[in-house]
Amino acid sequence: MDNLLIELAKLRRDSNLTESIQDVDKILEQLEAARESIVQDPNSASFTLAKLQNPLKHGFDKVNDDLKKVHKGQSAYGRALDKNLPHKELPFDIDGLASRPTLINRAISMHLLREGQFQVASTFLDEAQENPPQPSPMPSTPNFSEIDETELPSLKSRELQDKFSNIHELEKRGSNLEFELSKLQFVWLFLGPSVNGLPNDMHNGLSGALIYAQQHFQRFQARFLKDIQQLATAMAYSSNLQDSPYYRTFDIETAWDDVSTSFTREFCSLLGLSAESPLYLAATAGAIALPTLLKLYAIVKEKRTEWTTRSELPVEIALPRSMIFHAIFVCPVSKEQTTDQNPPMMMPCGHVVAKESLQRLSKGGKFKCPYCPGESIPSQAREIIL
Amino acid sequence: MADHITSKLNPDSHLILDQPLLRLPFELLRKNFKVAHLNVEKESTALKSTLRETANASLNANASPDDVLKNVDSMIARMRGLKRKLTSCSEEENRLHQQSQSRIRHLGELYGMQSLDDVKYEQWSRTRLDRLLVDYLLRYGYKESASELAQEKGIGELVDVETFVQMSRVSESLRRGRVTEALAWCNENKKDLRRMEVCFFCSILRGYLLMDVFQSKLEFTLRFQQYIEMIRTQDEQKLLNAITHAKKYLLPFKDSFPGEIQQVYGLLAFPPGVGPDPYAELYSDSRWSDLSNLFMHTHNSLLSLPPVPLLHIALSAGLSALKTPSCHSLHPPSSTTSICPICSTELNDLARPLPYAHHTKSHVESDLKLLPNGCAYGKRKLEEYARKAGLDAGWYKDLRSGEVYRCEEATTVYIS
Repeated sequence: MDNLLIELAKLRRDSNLTESIQDVDKILEQLEAARESIVQDPNSASFTLAKLQNPLKHGFDKVNDDLKKVHKGQSAYGRALDKNLPHKELPFDIDGLASRPTLINRAISMHLLREGQFQVASTFLDEAQENPPQPSPMPSTPNFSEIDETELPSLKSRELQDKFSNIHELEKRGSNLEFELSKLQFVWLFLGPSVNGLPNDMHNGLSGALIYAQQHFQRFQARFLKDIQQLATAMAYSSNLQDSPYYRTFDIETAWDDVSTSFTREFCSLLGLSAESPLYLAATAGAIALPTLLKLYAIVKEKRTEWTTRSELPVEIALPRSMIFHAIFVCPVSKEQTTDQNPPMMMPCGHVVAKESLQRLSKGGKFKCPYCPGESIPSQAREIIL
Repeated sequence: MADHITSKLNPDSHLILDQPLLRLPFELLRKNFKVAHLNVEKESTALKSTLRETANASLNANASPDDVLKNVDSMIARMRGLKRKLTSCSEEENRLHQQSQSRIRHLGELYGMQSLDDVKYEQWSRTRLDRLLVDYLLRYGYKESASELAQEKGIGELVDVETFVQMSRVSESLRRGRVTEALAWCNENKKDLRRMEVCFFCSILRGYLLMDVFQSKLEFTLRFQQYIEMIRTQDEQKLLNAITHAKKYLLPFKDSFPGEIQQVYGLLAFPPGVGPDPYAELYSDSRWSDLSNLFMHTHNSLLSLPPVPLLHIALSAGLSALKTPSCHSLHPPSSTTSICPICSTELNDLARPLPYAHHTKSHVESDLKLLPNGCAYGKRKLEEYARKAGLDAGWYKDLRSGEVYRCEEATTVYIS
């Protein structure tokens, strides 16, 4: 890209239209001078005009030369562009989404809401609704504005209160969030007015933290006894917390950000939504996958072959670890991924194969595990859910 | 065999969706130059001949001094006009240069990144998504949303609002049954349209078809539509006009579109509502939206823009790359893992018809334990979840259903 930048700089410097404007100006000056002399002496008109013909022609020749230079510069830049960003045919035929703008619109509006672009999202909804060829894009939108507008700012502005209507739901999911929040509030009070800026009275500082702990920590005792013990012991170190073993617990700066992300994650998963914007993940994964897919399409075109399985991509695409979400089981016998129709089956020896492979191996009778000497019959194998 | 996990970032092959980013300003730059060139050519011929004529007239004393002065004044006015046009071309040129520079810098940032896990890559990729979104919105005519998003994100230099707004103005007018704007556009880009046609025929000669015949077809179809509208009225005068129109604008195309030319004359015999199918279809209103699509397709290929929104391409590839058979499975995903983007409400339905990713190796936790209810989880995960749930040691809790089992009841699973 640096080369291209240099080429562009060259183009900007050497081949632009300013020179041609200057030369047009010169012609203008000549014309105006000629007019002046005709006004001065009407009799000299024919002489003046005759004299003007050659300079005018030269003037325009000059302008054309200027333009030629611009054209040359542009061609050079075009070549540089071809070289530095070689044209690659995009695989338009893989567009499996063209017929479903409604779903894409829904995904986009949810993405905008998730990113906190409420204004853009509402404009988009209006425009999408007005646009007749599109069916209404919004069957249902989970309430993102609720998190972002009420919860997140208040979390960030550090006025922490218990505001959970979904507490039981969260507990069932094994979420630590509620305790994390309570713990944070404790730490917040503990650090006292110099840090939290709240009024300096008995509900703040060490005593405030103690009162808070007595009121709120009781129901967490079963699950978080150790953490609570740590917090309580830390009180003994209140004068020299910096040097105490509990210093990390009281590092408030990172704690707020942690709780904030943890909140978004919990909120989203309660609604059945992923924490990171799916649109972002999918588009990024797409960009990562495209080079491989392009190579594949080139081969398919050249060899005039087609792949038969429409339900599965024909090549493996490597993604960053952060983009892997599910457990994947590939049957070691058939080398196929297991599905609902062809689930993984575990034999008594603990080895797993796909159901279809199991049926083929056993033919209904006793068979040997392909991985160990263990023998079993098909009915002993059990379906597992990964 | 490709590895399952990668974080390698190869900028050269990564920039596939981003080609139009530099191509479009370049095409516009060329177009802008052509406008400037055309104006200079026009004015220089006109001016030279005016000067010659005036000089001759003045020499032969055919013109009064006033006439001479008037001619000189008109020449000056023309030159001023030319200067104005060149100045605006120059401003446009400058804008496009500036835009190209910002875009090259933006793409160049990718070369400074180490891997796909780089924080900077995430930032960059988010900007790319914003670009793709704006592109999508513009193509579907959601102008306001597109400009707002571009402004909010500060990516004005990286998106082409203006180009698409102009395009949607023409395509909208077609949808509403007006051909004037589209014909004006054809006229403006006559030369390039012809060039594309030539390219197209070259590609046929070389034996493969790059794309459909869209180029001159646009003008023909527009003229044909005008003709149909005249016939539709069944007004005698209009019918005569229609025949003149056909002779003038449609017949020249008879070699390229022999089938349609037959329909042109056949249509005279079938007023609306009585004809058999090919003719009844010609009167259909849906022809206007076809025409609008045809225009957009021609417009985009003229400016080296992809025919479909880039977001479609990115998403089709991305959804498939992320999709697993579990994403549309009957079993709910386990609750502690973060929800997969394909399982998430936004994309779940969208991804349903697409193929899932191909894997050659299993990718599961190495310490799988099978609970009596048939669900298998990693041992470490089970222990952590049990601890979080406040269970005593020696107990596991199912991550999906919440059922509680003794550790001894879990059996080890061996994934080979």
